[in-house]
Amino acid sequence: MACARRLVTRYLFVVTAVAAVFEAGVAAAQGAPLAPEYAAPALMDSRLVVWVAAQLHLDFAAFVLAVPMFALVIEFFGWRMAKHDAAAATRYDWLAHEMARLLPAAYSLTAITGALLGFILFSAYPRFMGYLTNTFGPTFVVYPLFFVAETLCLYFWYYAWDRLQGDRKWAHLVLGLFLNIFGTIVMFIADAWATFMMTPTGVDHQGALVSLYDAVWNPGWMPLNIHRLIANITFGALLCAAYAAYRFLSARTENERALYDWMGYTGNLIALFTMLFLPFAGYYFGFELFAFSATYGVTLMGGVLSWLFIIQAIVIAILFIGAAYYAWLGLLRIPGSEPQRRWIPAFNVILILGFMVWATPHTMAASIEESTGQFHPLLGALGLMAPKMIAVTLVLVVLYVSYLLYRRAGKVLTVPWARTGTIVEWGLVGLTAFAITALGVYGYFAPADVRIATSIWQIVVLIAGIVVTFVLDLLLLRGSRTVAEVRWGSMPRRGQYVLVTLAFVIVWLMGLMGYARSGARLNWHVFGIVQDTSASAGLPTLGEAAIMVTLITVVFFALLAIAFAISAMAERGAPPRLAPGTREPAATSEGVRT
Amino acid sequence: MNADTQSRNRFSVPLPVGALLVVVLVFVMLKLIRPVIPQSVILLYMGFVVLGVVIHLTLDDDRIRRFWNFFVRAGDEGPVLRAQRWALLAVLPLVAGWWAYDAVRPRYTPPVEIFQRHPTVGEEVLGRIQVPEWAANPAKWRAEDIAEGKKLYAANCAVCHGEKLDGNGPAAAGFRYPIRPADFRDVGTIAQLTMRYVYWRMTTGGIQNQFNSPMPRWVASADGPQVSTLHSYDFTPEEGWKVIIYLYRATGYEPRKEELRDYKSH
Ligand code: HEC
Repeated sequence: MACARRLVTRYLFVVTAVAAVFEAGVAAAQGAPLAPEYAAPALMDSRLVVWVAAQLHLDFAAFVLAVPMFALVIEFFGWRMAKHDAAAATRYDWLAHEMARLLPAAYSLTAITGALLGFILFSAYPRFMGYLTNTFGPTFVVYPLFFVAETLCLYFWYYAWDRLQGDRKWAHLVLGLFLNIFGTIVMFIADAWATFMMTPTGVDHQGALVSLYDAVWNPGWMPLNIHRLIANITFGALLCAAYAAYRFLSARTENERALYDWMGYTGNLIALFTMLFLPFAGYYFGFELFAFSATYGVTLMGGVLSWLFIIQAIVIAILFIGAAYYAWLGLLRIPGSEPQRRWIPAFNVILILGFMVWATPHTMAASIEESTGQFHPLLGALGLMAPKMIAVTLVLVVLYVSYLLYRRAGKVLTVPWARTGTIVEWGLVGLTAFAITALGVYGYFAPADVRIATSIWQIVVLIAGIVVTFVLDLLLLRGSRTVAEVRWGSMPRRGQYVLVTLAFVIVWLMGLMGYARSGARLNWHVFGIVQDTSASAGLPTLGEAAIMVTLITVVFFALLAIAFAISAMAERGAPPRLAPGTREPAATSEGVRT
Repeated sequence: MNADTQSRNRFSVPLPVGALLVVVLVFVMLKLIRPVIPQSVILLYMGFVVLGVVIHLTLDDDRIRRFWNFFVRAGDEGPVLRAQRWALLAVLPLVAGWWAYDAVRPRYTPPVEIFQRHPTVGEEVLGRIQVPEWAANPAKWRAEDIAEGKKLYAANCAVCHGEKLDGNGPAAAGFRYPIRPADFRDVGTIAQLTMRYVYWRMTTGGIQNQFNSPMPRWVASADGPQVSTLHSYDFTPEEGWKVIIYLYRATGYEPRKEELRDYKSH
């Protein structure tokens, strides 16, 4: 505990130092409206330096914001279970704490990269930052306050974990809640600056502030807030899964391996679930951008940045394929799951074909020999919205069915109508898939407005199919006999490497789309109002951008590896013991706390 | 009975051979499609196929074992199996070698270009373009302006973009690379562009500028900005706007508005 307290003071010091740099920068910038416009403090292209610092900061910040969200939910579940199932409660509490374990290290890295970013911004773009601080004056004062509040909550939440157990658990949960609230506020404030630069409102054409409220609540603000909240969780959960994989691979006991297997599984599940909402959040954000300025539409959809979205489609496909592969490998944990595993090769084919259609570009990179000048009759058709919608929705059906099979593995149904029920269940799943395809084919030949309606109906059918069959599945499994238990820890090692890969891919994807968001402003600090007149105002080529994004990802993982190592070192007593069996690893409460 | 002997007793293709066959088959099929599929897309597809094959081969430990065991000689194996093994071991390096050769052999085609449908233009450039009052509001477009625009279109644009605005003018087939003249009826062109952007496209063009477009530009000539010459590349600004309103009227699209919402104080 003494060690923990020392850590707390150290981190508080970091925070105050960061806040001081920040405030000094603000003060300097405010006092110097006629500062030189640009400087190159790092003796190189400032835009590149800012890019690296900003993206690294965002990566860590995303992690630090997201993990407390699901860790708190898991902790809460554990707390609710404490009355009737102490072992499960211990297990959940352990899981929540494991997820939170990377936080202290990640938080200091967030603060350090943030300070670096602030420092570079204020020294490389003094005049522009002066403008921004003048415009957003009050928010620049509140921001550090909330930041400090978040820091306090975080360290107390993390380090008081073991003290605030039992009767005082509620206090711990409340602390976690405040942590999340403050964290969200901090992000919302920073989002206001970032989105003001993209979709400025609340200022006149010369950029003079008219209404701070409108400047904060600009058209891009809420969409970005929502998009980031969701994406952060996907991101954080996948990083936690990667951490679990690392611990799994380096585990020395069966027990540890089982627990980290379970943790990786949970992380992946959280990530997959939240990932399903991301396209909608993305569309919402994109729509607001297009509504704000036609130039965004041209730049992002048909212009320089349009290729990023083709790359994005490929990367998303890889994410989903990896997650599906991990889920299929998960069946190996259940002895006697052969009947379920039989289906996997067929699913694999559907998944791959589906994603081939999904990633088919509408405009292609063709050489002069290959170019017909027109849309390719086959590829042009596949590149359209309707076939892609069929492809993704069918892929989602396959993923869902994989999950159903996982639930069924190792169980014997005991309800009298088991046979009929199973036939009806699979029949309904098949019908859902058929209806989705039929709607899509119909939509393909229909005019544009009908096509959009059919794609909405496809989603409705998918959701309805899932809800109905899932309820049926619940009923079917009632009272079922378990003949084979999930053997946590028996996941093949390659499954763990998949988790690590997924983490790498999501970090890379976040870097890529971060570039798309920021690059869409082209040569403007504040779109349409404050122009970037520096020498480095242009956009890099696609290849250069990809190299930058990769570089940032590698640096991020290097820093993260340090965080992993530190966190693994700070072992806190024996993990809960596992009795093999049950759907989640079981634990007894002995030997958990020190 | 273990899986090895089982698969040996049945008539079946060993895993590695099957995997290679799938990859090769898909590749050949993609190559046979006409008109040709660009190499970049084939590469993308093959990436997915290989990924799927790897997943298939590693779904459980037994498959992995069967995969490797294929390369190990067993006492009781038949000549067919042995032939397959040697064939595979011979084919793989050959494929790799050909691939390497193909990547470095001299070519005469220019490198693949990534084409942008709508070249990106800075807000500060577009900001200098003013839509004249009479052209700004579709409800107030005058019939005579549109008729005038139609004449100008027929004289200047139809060779490429076609009388019916479908991108199929007599000269259109000459444009193979990077792209043919735009089909204005498609939702992907003027329907999603603002008038200022279309004007910029028309007056800035491509050939004469750095934009990768084969379209020439129509712009007021320096020595006589207001002189109308129906059959030259000189449009007065007024003529330019007339052609543009004709494009929209004839296709039935409305120009994309600059902002779709009313934003406070901006
Ligand atoms: C020499 C052939 C040719 C002529 C003549 C021609 N164009 Fe084009 N135009 C093209 C080609 C090829 C493209 C597609 C390539 C591109 O987008 O850059 C194109 C594209 C366009 C686009 C861009 C559409 C988009 O989606 O971005 C507009 C607008 C346009 N033309 C307007 C006109 C107008 C107006 C005229 C007559 C004043 C005209 N063009 C005359 C060949 C021509």
